[in-house]
Amino acid sequence: MNLLLPGMYFAADTALHRLDPRVKMGAAMVLMMLPFAARHPLGHFLTVGLVGTAVVLSRAPWRALLGTLRTVFWLGLFMFFFYFFTTPGRPLVALGGVTVTLEGVLAGALQVYRLCLLAVIAALLTYTTSPLQLTHGLEAMLSPLARLGLPVRELGMVLTIALRFVPTFFEEMETLSRAQKARGVDLSSGTPWQRIRNTVPVLVPLFLSAIRRAEELAVAMEARGFRSQPHRTRLYRLALSRANGVAVLIILACGAIGVLVR
Amino acid sequence: MHIQVENLTHIYARGTPAERVALRRVNLEIGPGERVGISGPTGSGKSTLVQHIAGLLVPAGGQVLLDGIPAHARTPEARARRRQVGLAFQFPEAQMFEVTVFREVAFGPRHLGLRADEIAARVHWALEMVGLDPDSFADRVPFALSGGEMRRVALASILALRPRVLILDEPTAGLDPRGRSDLLARLRAWQEETSATLILVSHHLDEMAGLVDRVVLLADGQIVADGPTRRILGDCSRLRSVGLSPPPGVALLEALRAAGWPVRTDVLDIEDIVSEISQCVFNHQDMKTRSFFNC
Repeated sequence: MNLLLPGMYFAADTALHRLDPRVKMGAAMVLMMLPFAARHPLGHFLTVGLVGTAVVLSRAPWRALLGTLRTVFWLGLFMFFFYFFTTPGRPLVALGGVTVTLEGVLAGALQVYRLCLLAVIAALLTYTTSPLQLTHGLEAMLSPLARLGLPVRELGMVLTIALRFVPTFFEEMETLSRAQKARGVDLSSGTPWQRIRNTVPVLVPLFLSAIRRAEELAVAMEARGFRSQPHRTRLYRLALSRANGVAVLIILACGAIGVLVR
Repeated sequence: MHIQVENLTHIYARGTPAERVALRRVNLEIGPGERVGISGPTGSGKSTLVQHIAGLLVPAGGQVLLDGIPAHARTPEARARRRQVGLAFQFPEAQMFEVTVFREVAFGPRHLGLRADEIAARVHWALEMVGLDPDSFADRVPFALSGGEMRRVALASILALRPRVLILDEPTAGLDPRGRSDLLARLRAWQEETSATLILVSHHLDEMAGLVDRVVLLADGQIVADGPTRRILGDCSRLRSVGLSPPPGVALLEALRAAGWPVRTDVLDIEDIVSEISQCVFNHQDMKTRSFFNC
């Protein structure tokens, strides 16, 4: 593996890694909701405290976490200035007809803080949960819908396969763009139109290999007897241990305090 | 072109848990028109090294100089040097994207900004060089060709750039024996016609033997041997110690030597190997006859 994408799973044996995927996904949802629902600073303190603890527990490298923040950098910047300029309130300075208010600065900062938390929580979930566990957990959470005829297991399989091939495709794209560079194309310069045209030599082979890969995978799965049958057993079953119970209690308590205390 | 690799270090996925050092302080010099083979076990850094020579990667330490100019620099001089280095990746047919063979081979020359007639002449020449008849192949769809033909079209698309340095990364991987020997013969002819530098990356030592004069062995990101083809490929124990299997002919001579036959092991050509063995057998019988009469 030559590159690490923001949000890619990395194997380790920490308390956070061992936690049940269903618990982790539920906790992530609660934590993502809290910075929006909390009315009192206490709720925000609890959220930041919990996320901070999770970061320390996960032993995720700082560089990788900062990398995930980079992915929301432009969105964050846009949101900050959007609130910065559009919130009415006490004027601070006037910049050429646009008035900047204290409320605007605060509102902008609040949005950036929420966005950063969302990014870190999502990254933590994918850092500490393997794609397989993630889909397993999702399947378990969606399983009530199976009664309504939703092919939950098949959807899970599709998701697993898709996640599995994300890094493969990025690597292949890297190789292809280097290979075309070696044939004399400068992919990173030229007019915008030329740059768009220059993606063709990379994208066409990429899609071709993706289609070929999908076909081969389908044949390989069929050859191993894969059928879309409802009864398939699993090597690893999800079971809730005591640690998971404790985690659920902590999250629920924090969620309740965050929402209810005003 | 003069290639100098100085203290080159490359690290993949730096600063992440997946970090891996692919090259450690590699030093190498390749003169104009040299024919060099680079070999080593999987993961030894061969492909990384040649991609650095083509200026496609940025070194973590050290540098690659092409005629004294850093290969990965963003200056016009460096770009001009890079354009003279042609690199065919492993399974180069995976890069094809055009609708006809002609357009596929013309892709590189078109980006060089050549005139239409010059492009056509180069495509024609390159297809002939790889043994495909330009008249019958130019208008065909690349994806409908056989595996061996696709490989040749892909190589032609590199040759059409008229590189002064040609780097081939496992050019014969996945070809049948006839396809292999034919491709190697074409490459030899191309090299003799253009007297360009040829760098061949492969772990098939026997097919390297007839094509290069010098072999560089890599193991674990470092150069462990560098010398004339005969000397490097004749040293079975060193080849085995880095995880490569010696060419079959050399292995045979070595086994004979171990069994007490006084044969040399630094012979690579099949004919030379045969004459070495037969001479040895002949001498042996001669000696037996003589000792019989002496008794």
